[in-house]
Amino acid sequence: MIHAALEGPVLVVTLRRPEKRNALTREGLRDLARLCEHLRDGAHPESDRVRAVLLRGEGPMFCSGFDLDACRGDPGGIAMRGFLSELSRTIAALRDGPSPVVICAHGGAIAGGCALLGGADVVVADVGAKLGYPVTRIGISPAVSAPFLALHVGLGPARARLLDSGLINGARAHAIGLAHELCPSPDDADERARTIAHELASKPTESMHATRRWLREVTPISASHGLEASLSLVGRDEERRMLEAFWGASR
Amino acid sequence: MPTKQDHLATLEFAPPRAVLTLHRPDARNALSRDLLDALHARLDELHAREDCHVLTLTGEGRAFCAGMDLRAVLGSEGDRPDIESIHAMLSSLASLTLKIRDLHMVVVAKVNGAAIGGGCGLACVADLCITHADSKMGYPEVDLGVCPAVVAPWLVAKVGPGRARAMLLRGGVMSGREAHERGLVDVLADDRAALDTTTDALVTRLAAGGPNALAMTKRLLNDLDGSGIGISPDLLARAARLSADLFASPDAQKRLRAAMG
Repeated sequence: MIHAALEGPVLVVTLRRPEKRNALTREGLRDLARLCEHLRDGAHPESDRVRAVLLRGEGPMFCSGFDLDACRGDPGGIAMRGFLSELSRTIAALRDGPSPVVICAHGGAIAGGCALLGGADVVVADVGAKLGYPVTRIGISPAVSAPFLALHVGLGPARARLLDSGLINGARAHAIGLAHELCPSPDDADERARTIAHELASKPTESMHATRRWLREVTPISASHGLEASLSLVGRDEERRMLEAFWGASR
Repeated sequence: MPTKQDHLATLEFAPPRAVLTLHRPDARNALSRDLLDALHARLDELHAREDCHVLTLTGEGRAFCAGMDLRAVLGSEGDRPDIESIHAMLSSLASLTLKIRDLHMVVVAKVNGAAIGGGCGLACVADLCITHADSKMGYPEVDLGVCPAVVAPWLVAKVGPGRARAMLLRGGVMSGREAHERGLVDVLADDRAALDTTTDALVTRLAAGGPNALAMTKRLLNDLDGSGIGISPDLLARAARLSADLFASPDAQKRLRAAMG
């Protein structure tokens, strides 16, 4: 479900599962993690030509999170552990890579989809987009996102967003710093994100790399605690029970 | 056995929900020594309630909490204020903030009316703050010659260092709507009449969450407060000392006396 194509100096990475609001399959997220790690390590076939990365989604919404169907019939939580680990790897690799990252959260970025925003330098959303982390209601802790989210929006808004399973709209996301540019419609957001990615790609490469490296250094984070906290609940009674109830309700 | 101050802070349980109400409406729920003691006792009770995972903190009457009880920090005219007694109150407030933050349950501050100074501090120690557009919130400490030392670390955690600096140094108060725009408030009800239903919707969402998932998430966020801002019992103890010294200063005593009319 991950499609990557070079548009000039911009690597456009598109989530392509529009009929499922780009819910991440195990394979999809694994591919995305690998792609981002290859970009970070300079091991992607186009690495030498990439000057900016645009992550976007096809269809009505950027990304609705993990496809929980992958977690059915998996009492040990192997699939969920895989999802959480790959999510953390993806965000970290986006942050640690050389090129600036733009994410277009058009329509919405929910749960794991919203977590991906933690890897972006610039997030574009439309006013009506729905964003948030509604995962405690299925017994999952969004702690995996906490270090990245806290860095981007501060500890207060991170606390509110991670504990409240309600969604906020693009305008509020813009107000708390989760989105940096606000557009009137999803289509405008997509176009604007492309423009910004090309703008970033056109800036002096050495300067961009050095600035990103320096920003990482002045804002050190430890992603592992968040991931460990999220993993520690997987497979426990509460998570199993709430996931079963979720599937029951969505049947 | 009930004590004389028990009625000052009331606790209602409807597991998984609980409501803690500051109940000193005639004094706009200002934090007196007795009210602080009552709040400590109630929070100790809450720490033991594993069946509750959402707490609403609110105030009886028209105010949420008007801050420190100024009568308690003023010496009688001509006398020197009792700095040790002021220090004891601020230490009590400081440890109260830590006790609220350390609760395993998610805490919602339902700011039903004015939340001023230490009262606004309680609002920003909660995990989530909800109010209506016309409430009054803020930190007028510098206007009164005192220092919002105890609440400052919590405000920094809530709104970030830049906004906290502007709010604390500019003093004054703001409307609930402005507080929402500046990140002090997470959920805004359109007006006072809508606050109950908006709060119910928020609390219902929270109550539907997995208790372990919420507690685990909160614990990690508390760790980030510690590593990111250095919030610790030691830091807050120093804050209480600093604040008490200012409260007892002649300039502050003069300004506080004037503010009380």
